[in-house]
Amino acid sequence: MKLPIAWLRDYIDLDQALSSDDIAARFAALGFPVEHVERRPKLSGVVVGRLATVEKHPAADRLFVCSVEIAGDRPLTIATAATNVAAGDVVPVATIGAELVGLSIGPRTMRGIASEGMLCSAAELGLEAAWFDDGILQLEKTLAPGTDFIATFGLGDDVLDVEITANRVDAMSVVGLARELAASLGTTIREPSLAIERYHTIAEPDARVTLESADCKRFVGQRFSNVVVRPAPFAMRVRLALAGQRPIDNLVDISNFVMLETAQPLHFYDIDRVAGRHLIARDARAGEPIRTLDEADRALDERFLVIADEREPQGIAGLKGGAESEIRATTTEILLESATFSGPRIRRMSVALGLRTEASSRHEKGLPLGLSTWGAARAAHLLEAEGALVHPPFAVGAADIAAAPIRVDVSRFTALLGMSISSAEARAALVSLGCTVEVSEGDGTAFDVVAPPWRGDIRIVEDVIEEVGRIVGYDRVVAEMPPILEHHVSSDAYRSESRVAHALAAHGYREAFSFSLQPAAVAARYANARIDLPAVVEITNPLSEDQRYLRFSLVPGLLEIAARRSGDAVARLFEIGHVFERARSGETHAASGDFSERARAAWLLATPATDEPAWTDAGFYTFKGESLALLRALTGSDAETVTATRPGWHPGKCASLVVAGKDVATIGAVDPRLLRAYGIDARVFAAQLAFDDLPARTMTRYRTPSRYPAVTRDIALIVDPEIPASAIEYAIRSDDDLVASVHVFDEYRGAQVGDGKKSLAVRLVLQRIDRTLTDTEGDAAIAAILDRLRERCGAQIRG
Amino acid sequence: MAALGERFRTAVAEAADRETLEGIRVAFLGRSGEMTLVRRTIGTLPPGERPDAGKIINEATSALEVDLERRARALADRELDAELDIAIDVTFPGNVPISGSLHPVRRAMEDACDYFARRGFAVVLGNEIETEYFNFDALNIPADHPAREGLDSFYLQPGWLLRTHTSPMQVRTMQSHPAPVAIVVPGKAYRRDAIDARHSPMFHQIEGLLVAPGTHLGHLKGMLTGLFRELFGAQQAVRFRPSFFPFTEPSAEVDTTCPGCFGGGCKTCGGSGWIEIGGSGMVHPDVLRESGYDPGAVTGWAFGVGIERIAMVRQDIDDIRALFENDSRVLAQLA
Repeated sequence: MKLPIAWLRDYIDLDQALSSDDIAARFAALGFPVEHVERRPKLSGVVVGRLATVEKHPAADRLFVCSVEIAGDRPLTIATAATNVAAGDVVPVATIGAELVGLSIGPRTMRGIASEGMLCSAAELGLEAAWFDDGILQLEKTLAPGTDFIATFGLGDDVLDVEITANRVDAMSVVGLARELAASLGTTIREPSLAIERYHTIAEPDARVTLESADCKRFVGQRFSNVVVRPAPFAMRVRLALAGQRPIDNLVDISNFVMLETAQPLHFYDIDRVAGRHLIARDARAGEPIRTLDEADRALDERFLVIADEREPQGIAGLKGGAESEIRATTTEILLESATFSGPRIRRMSVALGLRTEASSRHEKGLPLGLSTWGAARAAHLLEAEGALVHPPFAVGAADIAAAPIRVDVSRFTALLGMSISSAEARAALVSLGCTVEVSEGDGTAFDVVAPPWRGDIRIVEDVIEEVGRIVGYDRVVAEMPPILEHHVSSDAYRSESRVAHALAAHGYREAFSFSLQPAAVAARYANARIDLPAVVEITNPLSEDQRYLRFSLVPGLLEIAARRSGDAVARLFEIGHVFERARSGETHAASGDFSERARAAWLLATPATDEPAWTDAGFYTFKGESLALLRALTGSDAETVTATRPGWHPGKCASLVVAGKDVATIGAVDPRLLRAYGIDARVFAAQLAFDDLPARTMTRYRTPSRYPAVTRDIALIVDPEIPASAIEYAIRSDDDLVASVHVFDEYRGAQVGDGKKSLAVRLVLQRIDRTLTDTEGDAAIAAILDRLRERCGAQIRG
Repeated sequence: MAALGERFRTAVAEAADRETLEGIRVAFLGRSGEMTLVRRTIGTLPPGERPDAGKIINEATSALEVDLERRARALADRELDAELDIAIDVTFPGNVPISGSLHPVRRAMEDACDYFARRGFAVVLGNEIETEYFNFDALNIPADHPAREGLDSFYLQPGWLLRTHTSPMQVRTMQSHPAPVAIVVPGKAYRRDAIDARHSPMFHQIEGLLVAPGTHLGHLKGMLTGLFRELFGAQQAVRFRPSFFPFTEPSAEVDTTCPGCFGGGCKTCGGSGWIEIGGSGMVHPDVLRESGYDPGAVTGWAFGVGIERIAMVRQDIDDIRALFENDSRVLAQLA
């Protein structure tokens, strides 16, 4: 909210030593951060002047020469090119030495006439030119010549842009903020005048208001006669303009002024255009049309609350008035609406209509009932000053009654805020905010606190404690370490994720963080590559097409990065995050609804394409080795590799890794169709790990290493290509106590072994734990192994 | 014998390396070396001469071995001296090993979590798809409340959305565990903010919650002061500014000393000497009640801090997008 410091001064005396920044700092400390201080131009030397005479310049057709009265002194002679001035006008006059926006006034001669100053327009005084008179500003004729114009209208004071929290609708007003500042400065405000000189009464009230919806909680109505529509007083227009509101005419300006001053939005109806002189707050009917003040034709429905006459809606409650009963230049009789609506209802209407107004932004926060009476009274005072006849107000709906007292144990202030607060201090803080504080009967250890009528947000003990904290200042909170508590909340999921991240980094992989929001293009790439996709989760209200879907896998994000890598660079990347799918029918449960959300880690290796036979892939084995080492680090056991096919992976280069009987990870070469879709010309391997499903890390048990020499033997076998290395290893181990280790270390295919065969080289280590293996034992063991290989794998033994 | 000894000594003296020396040893003392051959002739001597001859040959052999050994030691010393004389260009670049790294956001997150874990807090994770109940209603943010405005959300279907903060885990944890609880919740959250240098529709938060009898705002200030000292250095202080969050009462914005200027005022803090880093407050009694706790028996405090902000301040990152673009140069640089 734009808060002109000049306007604040209407209610509170501010020391000149208090700078805009000081005031901003005080507001921030009260919980109203100032987003921006709008610095007003430095103006000086401008006084109110009365034009005694205005005559044509003897030597110039387009110039006038004015004799300008300012205080006491002799009149000034000022030449002007302005055309909107006449004798008797009261205008701002810049005297010699004055500083205006972008110019300084010095003596000068205009076509032979020495001009002793300048008559000012809005722009020269730093006001929005389009919002004020064309040409020279016209002031009220009652202003005394010589009056300091800048000080009187506060044009030298800065404007603060204050952020108001959603609970403080009362502070969406100049008086509300003045109250806060006064509490901070230890002073009090001058309340705006509500005085009425004389009520104009008529025998029968000829306007009525009926509430048909509970969402209009209270409606204060008041009639005014003999209204003359004309510009508002200059002081009011300046305040509105500084606050960012364009001045229109005295009625519109008074309603805006009161709203900005008190937070209570108002609306005026031309009473002659209200059918039956009867306003009804009711739900709109389906399809019911209204033309609003902004000339927009809108079709309403039951969601909308309207203020209607006996024929049709005359306004959308709390949002926008109707064009039909709008004030016109000829209007003389008006009906004031100062109403309290249901905040949520107004907010829903605002969202439904895509329209947010100054009024609705206040109504939607739930205005306190008391403001409606106050707002109407303030408007009445201002309208009377404009010459209107004031009729007595009437109210329908909920009564404006004082809030119930809140009993607060005095010790709670210190107990909750963690700073020592005396009873007297707490009481003074609350009183400074307008609360009434009674020491409850008994030993005086509790207060009964009644919030002021404008503070609908103070409802519970903690609200009262916060008010005391705000005024005393949170800087007094003493930092203290809490004791360590024994509780039963587990950190296992976090520890597991953290271990995976550290293990991957330790194995040479770099962590990436990608958006979990993805464009449709990701799924399209899979679909175009004819790769099966899970049911993707769609956002119903995305910000952009780029962020319409939730990721179903972490691999696409890593492929994006791999696609951007430079030249032949080797890339090792990983990401940990959640992946999302729509649950299959029947899988819906309370915790995750129709969605499945799982924690995953994915890692990727991209290497330049190599020249090697089709039956092998060195990159795969590098990747597999790294992946197994990683799982070993995470689980404490060696994973088993099982041939697999998974969407997204090469059908012939994919495996699942099984730990303790659980399939925990998929590794392999990325499906080449997918690589083509991503434009990646490299060997790319990817793995995805369900780390939330990892078996608990086993504590490896100690085994005494054999102290006796081992026998190492390399053997070469020829087998059918379908026989996997794992089968060879399995056949060799086969409960043989003498086999300490088996390692298939080479594969060869080609002319030397013949078509349809492959040769495998295997290194065996035989060892006994209790004594040295004898040659006879060793030979017998090898013979048994070779027999098993022939028998189970159809192996021929070479050389 | 004397001639043999002479030839041997000459050869040994001329040997320039240990390989040549070994050749000489083999030539004289090896299996078919000259001395060995001489020794074999002992058998041809009359038995009476044999002991003397044997003695002479043994002494001569020992002498040869001593010479050989001396020369070998000299050569080894010379080799060491030569080795010590070598100097390489140590400024020539080392071979770069394969090195992995953790993302700056994770490192900031883990540093914060480690701090809390050391003080007895559990670290809890939660789902990113959340219900309106846990994201809003249970946190005292009813439908059509204007406070939902700042938390503009991505919806998946009515009632289900991407969590707008990590705060839903407050109620989830309290509903499933009796008091006391002390937790932090790191994780992703989502808001419908267009991406720019300071905003991202996806971001990370760390949520803290402690509920126990007698805990107060001072304990929160103590924990947060310690956190920021751990993250940014010993000079850090914490400032609370009154604010409004529906799920805390009283509520406070959390500022900490700007680590860019230690409070003097700089570009990072916009001249104020403080950086805004999160929101906090005492858990609202309505939230405690909704969680099944008795607000008369326990009090609690909670806070939420942006992790990107921490990473960005610590590493001078001026654009949040740099954290999610995964430029390999940036990942390597920030590691």
